[in-house]
Amino acid sequence: MSHFTWVDGSIVGMYLLITMIAGIAVRKYVGKVEHFLVAGREMNVFLGIASLAATEFGIVTCMYTAQAGYTRGFAGAIPGICNAIAMFVVGWTGFCVKPLRDSGVMTIPELFEQHYGKFVRWLAGVVIVLGGLLNMGVFLRVGGQFLVVCCGMNLRYLELAMTTLLVGVAVYTILGGMLSVLVTDYLQFIVMSVGLIVVTFLVLGQVGWGTLVGTVQTHYGAGGFNPFITPSLGWPFVLSNLLTNTAAVLTWQTCIARLLAAKDTRTGRKVYTGTAFFFVCRWVIPGIWGIAALAMVEPAVVQSIGLQFGEKDGSLFAMPYMLSQLVPAGMMGLLVAAMLAADMSTDSSYMLTWGSVIYNDILAPFRKTPWPEKKGLLWNRCIVALIGVFLLFWGLWYKLEGNLWEYLQTTGTIYLASMSTLLIACCYWKRANDWGAIAAIVVGAALPVLSLSLNLFVQVPVLDAAGQQVIQEGKALTEGLAKHYIGDNFVNIGTFALVAVAMVVGSLLKPQPKSSSRPAA
Amino acid sequence: MFDPTIIAEHWFWWLTTMTCLVWYSTVTIYVAIRGATDIKQMFQRLQALADEQQPPKA
Repeated sequence: MSHFTWVDGSIVGMYLLITMIAGIAVRKYVGKVEHFLVAGREMNVFLGIASLAATEFGIVTCMYTAQAGYTRGFAGAIPGICNAIAMFVVGWTGFCVKPLRDSGVMTIPELFEQHYGKFVRWLAGVVIVLGGLLNMGVFLRVGGQFLVVCCGMNLRYLELAMTTLLVGVAVYTILGGMLSVLVTDYLQFIVMSVGLIVVTFLVLGQVGWGTLVGTVQTHYGAGGFNPFITPSLGWPFVLSNLLTNTAAVLTWQTCIARLLAAKDTRTGRKVYTGTAFFFVCRWVIPGIWGIAALAMVEPAVVQSIGLQFGEKDGSLFAMPYMLSQLVPAGMMGLLVAAMLAADMSTDSSYMLTWGSVIYNDILAPFRKTPWPEKKGLLWNRCIVALIGVFLLFWGLWYKLEGNLWEYLQTTGTIYLASMSTLLIACCYWKRANDWGAIAAIVVGAALPVLSLSLNLFVQVPVLDAAGQQVIQEGKALTEGLAKHYIGDNFVNIGTFALVAVAMVVGSLLKPQPKSSSRPAA
Repeated sequence: MFDPTIIAEHWFWWLTTMTCLVWYSTVTIYVAIRGATDIKQMFQRLQALADEQQPPKA
């Protein structure tokens, strides 16, 4: 039985009302496409930190980081440490982000046009949007599942509740663009932070540090604290996460949008270094909640909740169920408001920043002459609305197989590997050209898509240590072909390595023009 | 939460967790205060730019 009462409902309702008013109130400042997409490049350091920290913490984040804590113990938080290291180093050194911000572009593919030509700009835009949409497609469903389990909401009202929430977010994003996103992110950052702190102290007070450590020790042994000695994780897991997170810091649309909306390069770099540690927090804090769920919730209960949603693995729902039992009325309203804040800031930013690539890069060939500002704004608003519609249908239709973080990592890799390679080569290798860029994009998209397809359509039986088929509830346990024989981490590492090879080989194969010292695209 | 033997055993994760809690309790407040000033300045600047682009009244 959840502790969600009318008092909690009032807290949530009040928060949603304030956010909507703030988001819509700033629409009068949107006069140009530049205001809509990059806030007129007027964003300063602390607003940037608040906005980026809020955007990169959604319900979906909380769910997969808690799942990592539940299924891997403290070692599950390693991706957060990798992310923070990458973010701090990139911000501190200015690696790639300095030349990117100095160029004055609004999206990464726009920079690629200067080095690789128009076709690569368009192709990069397509790949970025494909990877991003597949990635954000699961946000709405996972957010809804959290609310159902945590608040005890009737499953019948889930679709209605999530549709209403998405429409609310879409309205202020469509009207105010990045300006609305920054202001609402700021409010959401405050509400989210208060909720996270209060709930974490409650969890630590109820469960205790000793119990958390003991639970991890019992279930996962020393491997629950050190990923290098866990057979299922090991160095491939750490390296895969280091590569993915470094690429994400360099090319993930929501991160890059803050860099490009910053007043200048120095401000953008400070936003990166200032936000870095929040990425540790976003894995460790929900990870603690996940470990607490492991200590408190019976595995059979977790499994039955998973089956209720038609999911083979119930580990995603352990944390929200634990919170539904632990958090008292009144505080539950704060928790739900914090989680909705987290989700709204994520949804709005994702819709806007991926919409900016569709407008700026995919539609670029159709703009023979510059469009008037009014026409540009109308197109941008329509694109954000269409992404909202896509999120709704994909989120309600797609059923997740296996670990959520691995799904997000694989769909992200569709463009992370190739775009980060193109960006590094564009900034630091003069010999890089369109042949190498196209080869890198094709290889970078083909391998993750092939892996996802093999996992989806070709299932192989799971064997135990003795080579016998594992039977669970009368059914033979199976897993995807690529996952079974290669593993998600090696698919990731292999993709990054082969994309780099494709970039180098492709670029070197293209004959250099004799008259110019720099190769033409 | 503060049993020295349990803390010493896995000091890295205890320290990381406590740093996260202190970070969210303190740095967040500082970022929120400075962020409010940033928002105010951003809209003042956007308003000033919009006013500059208005044609002068006859």
